[in-house]
Amino acid sequence: MKVISGIPVLDEMIEEIPEGKVLTYWIDPEVEGNVFAMQTLFTNLERDCRCAYVTLTYSPEVVVSEFNEFGWDVENYKNFNIVDLHSAYVGLPSNCKYSADPTNVDEVNDVLMKVIENCDLVVVPVSSIIDVCGESSIECIGEWCDFIRDKSSRLVFTFVSWPYPEKIENFIKVNSNAIVRVGGVHHRVILGYYYGVVKVDWKNIKSKAILFKLVRPGGVRAYIPKILVTGPYNAGKSTFVHAVSMRSISVDRLGTTVALDHGHLEYRGFSIDLFGTPGQERFDPILKIIGKEALGVILVVDSTKPETFPRAKQMLESVAHFGLPYVVAANKQDLPGALPPEEVRKKMYLPEDVPIIPVSAVNGEGVYEVIDSLLGLLTGRLWVSEDEPESTA
Amino acid sequence: MNMSYQIIPNVELKKGSNIMVYGPTFTGKSMFVRSIFRDFISRGYGGIYVLTKDSAETLMSWLGTGYDSRKVRIIDCVTKSMVGNVKDTDSVKYSTVMDLTGISAKISKFFEDFWRSGIKNIVVVFDSLSTLLMYMNLQTVFRFLHILTGRVKITESIAFYIVEDGMHDEKTIVTLKQLFSGVVEFKEDNGRKYVRFVSPFMQTEWREIVVDEEAVVVT
Repeated sequence: MKVISGIPVLDEMIEEIPEGKVLTYWIDPEVEGNVFAMQTLFTNLERDCRCAYVTLTYSPEVVVSEFNEFGWDVENYKNFNIVDLHSAYVGLPSNCKYSADPTNVDEVNDVLMKVIENCDLVVVPVSSIIDVCGESSIECIGEWCDFIRDKSSRLVFTFVSWPYPEKIENFIKVNSNAIVRVGGVHHRVILGYYYGVVKVDWKNIKSKAILFKLVRPGGVRAYIPKILVTGPYNAGKSTFVHAVSMRSISVDRLGTTVALDHGHLEYRGFSIDLFGTPGQERFDPILKIIGKEALGVILVVDSTKPETFPRAKQMLESVAHFGLPYVVAANKQDLPGALPPEEVRKKMYLPEDVPIIPVSAVNGEGVYEVIDSLLGLLTGRLWVSEDEPESTA
Repeated sequence: MNMSYQIIPNVELKKGSNIMVYGPTFTGKSMFVRSIFRDFISRGYGGIYVLTKDSAETLMSWLGTGYDSRKVRIIDCVTKSMVGNVKDTDSVKYSTVMDLTGISAKISKFFEDFWRSGIKNIVVVFDSLSTLLMYMNLQTVFRFLHILTGRVKITESIAFYIVEDGMHDEKTIVTLKQLFSGVVEFKEDNGRKYVRFVSPFMQTEWREIVVDEEAVVVT
């Protein structure tokens, strides 16, 4: 029986979770990543696979209500099983067919192996087991990984990457056939969420990061991040958007943008929408509306016109209000008298940690460095290598 | 808006502070953090309150109607265990004391909500860590707090975490203290209650307090 992840885009990449394999959702501690495993389970439940969900931190009733919250009525499926490690832990009797006391390693081992024999897919919260049963429980987890290799089942682990000792992280990495990282886009606070395959041993794939939102009901939904391109009048915003985009459109009147520039870019595995705002003050409300939804900001300034910098700063402050990360594109470097980035920094009173990239949008120079720099800020450089850009623009 | 906040006389907290509120039961710790929370909200802060002993309903009823509800977010770790099927709202999310990942993700979501609506001054109250330590081992709680206290520092917020005296061994308290910038200590002596502040840089005298249903007053 073919088992799939049920996660958008991911199935196109890994195709299936083959028998005997372990797939781990490697989850940032501040991200609601458990839903990935729930979605994988429910997708396969609907495909008549026999599925089991191991619970330790929630009672079986709460597990069912968690599934229901996403519109997944698991209790109506006869092929759904809960392995209850919670009840014994809090001293309550269990009504589940499969249950064990998590503090008794042998008991948990016996039950889990029985479940693996009887199911096509078993979801296990490995980090919760490590948290409750102690770090020595990784030996037990290793036994399940070995046990499943010649079975017709698959294990899906949820591993929340709390600051564990390196040996635990390495152990999970080594014992997983596939790892899907579920993380947050950090900029002081988490502004968005992404997932991507970082390891898979049954297919050759190219790494790709997908932004997602959780929808109730619905589950994991991939979406395209918005990047706001702003700056004073005639700074070259439209030229910038056109220079980096695969397809773009501007709403112009007499050669200047009066509504929006929109461009789309497939770059380093990201699918990005760029929104360029008009530079005139009367359009500032648009800036605020897009700013609320955006993940990051590119501020385009005309390096030959320092007299426009106060307006640039003002526009930046409007969007900085939302706590967004930003990069400055010091445009028109091809023109005589263009100020170098450090001069722009001084004249704009920008902190040292704000990236200022020299750009000539009209010649397409430096534009991808700007995108790289912003993606680096958004993802902590996880998905941005030092290789040459691989844009399909 | 003031960059610092005086929690007891002569003790000003800087942004990014993580403060342990420590003392025996019934000495006024919860009332102390509640009244600080309400005070911060009235100063325009966004507030995130994590409850492990009382329900969100209890806190909201204590807060009454005289506050800006858009600035209050609650994580209720009690109701879900009792009722099972309870739905999150924009301002109240439900979790359980054993689900540290869920609590962490919900706090993070609230931080995002506040930042996206332009509120960057945030106060966090965790009432109490002792309940977590009843279910989870110290190492696990420490890892959870490592992430949370880091988030508080990086966002220059202020956070208070209640720990009950007498429920944990010394090693637990010493380990937890590593994560905090200071401790507000409570004690009871001959039926009278006292508070003081201790940090690596200062220690105040014990000051007598009066606790009622609305606030804690340092006399």
